[in-house]
Amino acid sequence: MALHSSLSAPRRGMSIFDKLRQTTWGLVALVTLVSSVGFAMLYSAAGGSFDPWASRQMIRFFVGLGLMLGVAVVDLRFFFRIAYPFYFVALVLLTAVDVAGAIGMGAQRWLDLGVIQIQPSELMKLSVVLVLARYFHRLGPEDVGNPVKLIWPIFLVLVPAALVVKQPDLGSAIIIGLTGAIIFFLAGVRLWKFIVVGAGGAAVVPIAWGFLREYQKNRVLTFLNPENDPLGSGYHIIQSKIALGSGGIWGKGFLQGTQSHLQFLPEKQTDFIFTMLSEELGFVGGLALIGIYSLILLYGVGIAVRSRSQFGRLVAVGILGGFFVYAFVNMAMVMGLLPVVGVPLPLVSYGGTAMMTLLMGFGLLINVYIHRDVHIGRSGAGEDG
Amino acid sequence: MATRIGDVLRALPSRLRIDGAAKQSIEVARHRLVVAGVLFVIAFLIVGLRLVDVTLLKEAREPRFAHAPRAGHLEMGRADIVDRNGVLLATSLATASLYANPKLVLGPAEAARKLARVLPGLDEREIAARLASDRSFVWLRRNLPPRQQYEVNRLGIPGLYFQREERRVYPHGPLAAHIVGFTDIDNRGIAGIEQSFDEKLRESGEPLDLSIDIRIQHIVREELGRTVEEFKALGGAAIMLDVATGEVLAMVSWPDFDPNAPALAPADARFNRNTLGIYEMGSTFKIFTAAMALDYGTATLRDGYDATKSIQIGRFTISDFHAQRRYLTVPEIFIYSSNIGAVKMALDIGTQRQRDFLARVGLLKASPIELPEVGPPLVPQPWREVNTMTIAFGHGLSVSPIQLAAASAATINGGVMRPATILKRQMGEPIPGERVMSAVASEQMRRLMRLNVERGSGKSAAVPGYLVGGKTGTAEKIVDGRYKKAARISSFVGAFPMNKPRYIVLAILDEPQGTKTTFGFATGSWVAAPVVGRVIARAAPMLGIEPVDEEAPDLRDQMLINVAKR
Repeated sequence: MALHSSLSAPRRGMSIFDKLRQTTWGLVALVTLVSSVGFAMLYSAAGGSFDPWASRQMIRFFVGLGLMLGVAVVDLRFFFRIAYPFYFVALVLLTAVDVAGAIGMGAQRWLDLGVIQIQPSELMKLSVVLVLARYFHRLGPEDVGNPVKLIWPIFLVLVPAALVVKQPDLGSAIIIGLTGAIIFFLAGVRLWKFIVVGAGGAAVVPIAWGFLREYQKNRVLTFLNPENDPLGSGYHIIQSKIALGSGGIWGKGFLQGTQSHLQFLPEKQTDFIFTMLSEELGFVGGLALIGIYSLILLYGVGIAVRSRSQFGRLVAVGILGGFFVYAFVNMAMVMGLLPVVGVPLPLVSYGGTAMMTLLMGFGLLINVYIHRDVHIGRSGAGEDG
Repeated sequence: MATRIGDVLRALPSRLRIDGAAKQSIEVARHRLVVAGVLFVIAFLIVGLRLVDVTLLKEAREPRFAHAPRAGHLEMGRADIVDRNGVLLATSLATASLYANPKLVLGPAEAARKLARVLPGLDEREIAARLASDRSFVWLRRNLPPRQQYEVNRLGIPGLYFQREERRVYPHGPLAAHIVGFTDIDNRGIAGIEQSFDEKLRESGEPLDLSIDIRIQHIVREELGRTVEEFKALGGAAIMLDVATGEVLAMVSWPDFDPNAPALAPADARFNRNTLGIYEMGSTFKIFTAAMALDYGTATLRDGYDATKSIQIGRFTISDFHAQRRYLTVPEIFIYSSNIGAVKMALDIGTQRQRDFLARVGLLKASPIELPEVGPPLVPQPWREVNTMTIAFGHGLSVSPIQLAAASAATINGGVMRPATILKRQMGEPIPGERVMSAVASEQMRRLMRLNVERGSGKSAAVPGYLVGGKTGTAEKIVDGRYKKAARISSFVGAFPMNKPRYIVLAILDEPQGTKTTFGFATGSWVAAPVVGRVIARAAPMLGIEPVDEEAPDLRDQMLINVAKR
């Protein structure tokens, strides 16, 4: 049986070639498929032109693809070892954006290192997954029930989340927070503790409200009643709903979306690309994209299930969780189920950094699959299974 | 792909092969993974259902009416200024001002070269220097029109930004420049109405109604300007004022300037001669001498004074320009403009009463008109008998033209002093006023002024059918401390129609030079009176005043006056 032979295969001495052969090419194909949907929509958003979005997005995708495969073939234990250093580097960079961040779009998110510009919040999305996975891997199931042991990992999530909110980038903060929560859940933290934290969070809402920027408050208020301010903050969501409704079952056809092409739909190439897709390809097109996303998630869950190490499983789930939150929040947002928080549609929205982070995340996911049978001890010392 | 997923799912029972703590943890994790997977599915189901809702079922929620942005209403920071009929005198246009953050400009020289190509008049070298500076904010050009803003945007130079601004625009250019005033580059009023109502214009948002009628203003400006040019005068001033309300319908100071570009105008052009300039008005002051004599009763229209000999005060000699060298009745003193007669009338009135009367008609303090450019009169201190004598014929007391116009109005409107205003009096608004002389004396003043145009020095102001009345004035200017014959202020205070006066029209020319057509004369009757006549001829029909038959018996009776002593 194929399953049995893979379990007994030696992992330590696996060559890069072997690892590439082990790669779940089905997942790579799905990722490429979603990204290609993105290219097509960006081509349409530019009015039937590769310039300015589709061509750049394609270049980024191919660079990201290489990066993904590179991440996939590195030994999983390497990521276990560098989890903390990586986390602290990301934290320092995140703090640095506050201090010396170049101001882009009114929010301080980018750190200009001269040669390249990096967005530390994106690095943080990956490093939080690694550091939490490592922590719970070492903790073991007997200590998960001890509330004191949960203080440190909560801290590990809240500090970067707070820094990101301050930038202000509510979308990234939500992804970091929810990714953390999913890992906590998978690690076996009891449900009632989530309820306590959730209740505590609800109690904090009125206080946190005071810390929100005016535009963030407006978005929440607009979410509650978009028709209140049809020409201001509610404009996005109303236009989005009109465009979605105008698509109908089969859509208006590729390149035929009037709401988006006539500029009624704002941010059509980034946050509201799902709206444009549904306008042009209809309900069926939107459902198809949700279907592809579901397949990717299913694939990921399968990989997590098959990982023998807790670390690998938690990493896989953390990556999937982030991906899921991206997709869910974005689609819910453009359909008016959630406030507009500025989360892109994963692999489809125009934007280089999110694309890179997601592809590196999928690299980690494939990595977990390739190293599914690698045993990682409490200390991180590796033994073959 | 299907087999891979199948493998994965079949792997689930393999947990049985793992022991101890690891087994327990894996068991929990796998259990929870399933829960997480279910949650993912539920979440996507919700999204899918919502997609059904918004794409297929949303018709019911579609707004019945599309929201369209309202056009035509632009929020401006500064209110408009309009004339009494609502004609726009000053308004605000939205413009864009170009500035740069030099730290973000990559190639200053290149950027400056491109900018100079689309913005004519821009000094390329200076702009390059500004763009290369190490500051993070430099203005490049204020108030670009939309076309230029578009051109600059098209250049796509990084580091350049636009600040939305307002630019004050005066559609009538110089026509009402001295009244409306102008603003500085930051839109703060620094002259005229723009300055005196700066705060109100900023805050109210409602247009400010002026008393000006821009049509009349145009007529007055044209006639005054033509005359100033014809007689090569240094300048001129003209006012039309409603005697019943004190509203200024037109007020022109010449030379003038374009308030759209005030910096280009010389200071002399920005000077408002009507309110800021003060002059010895000369014989037009005999209006007040006559008015107070009639009001105090020190003389009647039947009385007279001996004007055979000139009067000697110290080293000055007071004599008559049109010397009659005989006994003159009060009407004769007025129409021949006898200085000697006026002095004798004033001496009968007395210093105190003369001063009181002039104070009542507002000639001893600055005009209350709502402009920042108001000059206070030059009042003699102390006021001796000699001052009383000279003031009787308009020397030794300098006042502004607007003071003269408002005070003259009080002598013919029935005797009520109405403060001059540049703001439109709203319907039903009470008009402030103070009785300064009897209605009877005022009625007599109408006859005197009408007589002067019919038979005296004001003949050239006559307009058939409009019963014009008035008084000329020719004052010698003080140059270097002495009166100079060739430098005069020639003026005419007119009013019409004299049976029921509606408007005062005042014209003043500063140092007009005589021409061949005037036989070298440049006095009030030759220079200023025709201006008033032409203005009335053009403006009266526009104001809806019907011409009358001046020879009609009842009108003759109203204007009747006994000139010679019988």
